[in-house]
Amino acid sequence: MTERVFRLDGVSFSYPGSGSCLEEVSFEVGRGERVALLGANGSGKSTVLRLMDGLHFASLGRLVALGEVLSPAAVERPPFGPRFRKEVGFLFQDSDAQLFSPSVEEEVAFGPLQMGWTRPEILRRVGDTLQILGIEALRDRPPQNLSAGEKKKVALASLLALSPSVLLLDEPTAGLDPRSQGALLELLEELHASGFTTVTATHDLELVPHLADRAVVLGEDHRIAADGSVRDILADTDLLVRVNLIHAHRHRHGALVHSHPHQHAVMHEHSHRLGHPHPHPHED
Amino acid sequence: MGALVLAAATLVQPADTGAERTWLRRLDARAKIVGLLGFIVAATLSRSLPALGVCVLTAWVLAGAGGVDWRRFALAVLSVPAFTLAIAAPATLNVVTGGRDILVLWHMGLGHWGPWSWPEVLAVTDRGLFVAGRFVLRSLACVSLGAILAASTRPTDLFRGLRGLGVPAVFVTVLDMMVRYLGLLLRGAEEIHLAKLSRSIGHVPVRREQAWAAAGMAELYRKCRRLSGEVADAMVSRGFSGEVRSLSTGRWGWPETVFVLACAAGATTALALGWGG
Repeated sequence: MTERVFRLDGVSFSYPGSGSCLEEVSFEVGRGERVALLGANGSGKSTVLRLMDGLHFASLGRLVALGEVLSPAAVERPPFGPRFRKEVGFLFQDSDAQLFSPSVEEEVAFGPLQMGWTRPEILRRVGDTLQILGIEALRDRPPQNLSAGEKKKVALASLLALSPSVLLLDEPTAGLDPRSQGALLELLEELHASGFTTVTATHDLELVPHLADRAVVLGEDHRIAADGSVRDILADTDLLVRVNLIHAHRHRHGALVHSHPHQHAVMHEHSHRLGHPHPHPHED
Repeated sequence: MGALVLAAATLVQPADTGAERTWLRRLDARAKIVGLLGFIVAATLSRSLPALGVCVLTAWVLAGAGGVDWRRFALAVLSVPAFTLAIAAPATLNVVTGGRDILVLWHMGLGHWGPWSWPEVLAVTDRGLFVAGRFVLRSLACVSLGAILAASTRPTDLFRGLRGLGVPAVFVTVLDMMVRYLGLLLRGAEEIHLAKLSRSIGHVPVRREQAWAAAGMAELYRKCRRLSGEVADAMVSRGFSGEVRSLSTGRWGWPETVFVLACAAGATTALALGWGG
């Protein structure tokens, strides 16, 4: 049986002074899996990732990570705390929040420094990581002066420098131009091929097949609405409409204007009446 | 004075790439901080105009010899003292600073209003000119020296230098993050302003402008809090447990020693010349 990396049992969470963000969320993530957390804005995807990274803790239920129940004490207590921080990397949606060091080199070295690695070891690791991501030229640059794509790569490098085995990615392609988006997707594919476990929060259905094999869908009621293969989830139009990931919109076929639930991610077929039925696959 | 130096430093902040590696840029940041800060202290304590003039001249020669971008340097150095000149102008008048009248501006006639009385003429005094001149020269010297430090040192190296000099890591980290996120927040403020501008037609009453400004500040505060929370989470996520660690190291050789000694000699001379006033 595949080793279990995360197990969420009936996890509920609410931020102080606000309503519930998550309601009885339960799912598991196995070693080497690629899981997408799908849901509309405000459904709680980012909160699930923060819980999985030990930044917040469940109000109800329990979350087991790397074989231990996550709690404020657990993530601070050696040896589990440092091991957990080393093993699990979290890519924030806002790169500006993640890149707080004065130079790219220091940014990438931040994690290894916290782990107490030796200076030569850190410098070697930083060099290797920058080389793997093809960003050696940025080594002495201040992160705030980089482009969005470069920032995302540096943020990823800052995680990879710790040699994690699990990556939690919060809207990794948000705000990137198509070229940077493609480069990032290729990189994530390579990481998966080398055995990484990834959990990606996104509402970009077009990218989901590139990011995950399995999807966990969060509804607007902050509960799990579905858990299955990406192919099955994306084919379930009713589900996607129900969780507000797609909507019925008007579009035109020649002279005919009509509306129906529709997503831009996958190819679909439908026919029209009005005397000229013509089943036609199309991709928007 | 600190605010003026900071303003000048911001104006001459070097680009992070492509900057020519002149001897001044190559110097260890610690040497520049110690040397130039010593000079700034000497300029602050000097009371004579010639001593302050020597400080200004030394700073400008240093900027020229060190390959500082003259255009940006001049912009910073000349714009900030223009501001101090406006502040110091009233000090030249006999109603503020006593002394011998050297230029009569207005015959007011003797008079008083309640307990307050005023002289017969409004005039510029020799003592007033000296006080204002000293203030402007002092700010010019401090701003020039601060601008040289900023123009020849990347922020990264500057913060490393501060760490190397024993400034606690938490202060340096906070200072660094403040500089970084100040830019982001300014961008946020600009966006809020532009968003408002794009929806404004014609004259808006002052009260509504005030209400808008207050709302904008509140929104910026909210963004600031969110961002700082995210930064803290990002640090914790990578193992931060309260102790800031850094790769910072320095390279101190004979050029650094010579620079610091030269600055010390210059600062001592300025102090010796200017201590008595």
